Amino acid sequence: IKQNRQTKTRGNFPNSCFYFVGVLFVQGAMTPGMSIFSPMMPYGSGLTPQPVQNTNSLAILEEQQRQQQQQQAQQANAGLPGTSGQTPQLYHSQAVAGSTTTALPGNTPLYGTPLTPMTPVTPATPASESSGIVPQLQNIVSTVNLGCKLDLKTIALRARNAEYNPKRFAAVIMRIREPRTTALIFSSGKMVCTGAKSEEQSRLAARKYARVVQKLGFPAKFLDFKIQNMVGSCDVKFPIRLEGLVLTHQQFSSYEPELFPGLIYRMIKPRIVLLIFVSGKVVLTGAKVRAEIYEAFENIYPILKGFRKTT
Amino acid sequence: MYEPDNRVNSEIEKLTQIYYREAYQHESFIRVSLRKKEHLVGCCLLLSCRLLNWPISMATISSLLDADPMVMGMLYIEMVKILNIEAPIVNITDVMEAHSHDYQISSLHAPEELSESHKDLTKRAVELVELSADTWIVTGRRPIPIMMAAIYLSWQSLKPNKHRLKLSLEKFCQLAKVNKHKPAIKRITEMKEMLCKLGQEIPWVREAVTPDNVVKHVEDILKHRHALLRRALRAQEDALLAERQASCEDLPIKEDADNHQLHGETLKSQDPEPNWGKRVLFAPPCVVQAKKSRVEQPELTDVTGDEEISDSEIDAYIRTPQEVREFALSQKMLE
Repeated sequence: IKQNRQTKTRGNFPNSCFYFVGVLFVQGAMTPGMSIFSPMMPYGSGLTPQPVQNTNSLAILEEQQRQQQQQQAQQANAGLPGTSGQTPQLYHSQAVAGSTTTALPGNTPLYGTPLTPMTPVTPATPASESSGIVPQLQNIVSTVNLGCKLDLKTIALRARNAEYNPKRFAAVIMRIREPRTTALIFSSGKMVCTGAKSEEQSRLAARKYARVVQKLGFPAKFLDFKIQNMVGSCDVKFPIRLEGLVLTHQQFSSYEPELFPGLIYRMIKPRIVLLIFVSGKVVLTGAKVRAEIYEAFENIYPILKGFRKTT
Repeated sequence: MYEPDNRVNSEIEKLTQIYYREAYQHESFIRVSLRKKEHLVGCCLLLSCRLLNWPISMATISSLLDADPMVMGMLYIEMVKILNIEAPIVNITDVMEAHSHDYQISSLHAPEELSESHKDLTKRAVELVELSADTWIVTGRRPIPIMMAAIYLSWQSLKPNKHRLKLSLEKFCQLAKVNKHKPAIKRITEMKEMLCKLGQEIPWVREAVTPDNVVKHVEDILKHRHALLRRALRAQEDALLAERQASCEDLPIKEDADNHQLHGETLKSQDPEPNWGKRVLFAPPCVVQAKKSRVEQPELTDVTGDEEISDSEIDAYIRTPQEVREFALSQKMLE
């Protein structure tokens, strides 16, 4: 088993960059839901958020939420099982002047002008309008309770595939070949399983780790298995003007090229974080079920298409 | 620090104080270390500058505080989220003027042959950065190396004589008394490549435009950049059209195959799809020079999660008693 696997650094970005992104996600999970409405206060009081340039979009946001609430109420009345409201927070961007690579004569705005107005898109995009691209699942994180206290020193001594440095981290790091995954096993009996490419693979892997622990002499059970996070990725295959996207979707986006090359888009519905890169590659994370990944991508795709250049 | 307008600064100062008071008292920050609170000041300053359209980079503030820009950046993002504020991003062309003033290249500081007025230098560098942004060199990249590359090329092109063209970026930075940023070298290469593509479209230039001779054409390229861009894009379109017509005649089936590759899962057994970045005139460099993606492991399909787990498989992960003894011994010896 390779000790001290190091995360690959890409290009010039140090490991701290990825830690930075990881911290964002963790915070996203722990802080209360971000308010999507900037209170309309007069500019200049010092405590105001940036006045929304486009009041239309705010009105539309409020309208959208109202529609959403109505729909949810209707669904509840219809006696449907507790499905999360399917209405996406979605705005179909129209083509923006100046966002193409063909520079217009005269003063070329460096970034696209903000779009006015923004039209909401109806939920449940019909198949003919769907992107035709399916995000690939890249990583599943799950947890399970083995239901008994564990002696990590014994596990590290007797298992071939275990790593244990109590001074560095208070858990045994165990790896199996098939499904290719890594587990963190804690003395409390709780375990985290990472690296699987599907929910079923994650469950199978977790069961194998539990079996190893059993064979080492512990009365391990398999309680409360739960998928905690799913990561997917895909490629829209066209370049994206991140500067334009952050301008028009400021409430959801964070783009700081000094810190990280991608734009961080925090979608409200479903509650997914997307990393959008200039290359057109998109990473989606924060899902508990794979449908959320697919839904988030179908929501973002029309927005990204709006920033696609047309030759 | 370059501060031409004190009036604006007092407004920024006031706003910074307001935000700092709010952030400092917030439960997320009240108990953080003193050092972190210093970083917080920088974050509030950055926020105020952005809200009041005062262009300043995170790097500048970090260097003033002698802080790690990444650490400050993370704190800034956290603070903005906690205070629930939307601050616009900084436009690189706005920061350019302040940045170019760091370069001590005016006639007061540099020999006449190598000196350049800030006004001319900034004007040209801004045009170059705008053109770079249009051609996908800027998005997703750190701004300072881009600005450095733009200033260097602008400086060379304003008087493209032997002296300037021979001076490397390193020597230029020494002359201008700025710290060299290594990524700037790559940005220079990318900008030159882009300029060559446009330079080739200049009707009165007979010789081939290469990265070695493109600098002397930069003035013309920037002057006629809109027209040259249109010409270059049109030429690319025509070339693609001709290629498509030729391939259509040869292989009628190929188009269907391409469509299938876009839908659903990528077929790993087939040859990788041609890089779309190579089929357009300008594309983000990370697409054109795509790194070889990791070879995918053979997918475990149809896994239910409830499969039988064989004893032999699990035993393979467990040490034999002999191995355990040897391992325990080696641990003891290492202590």
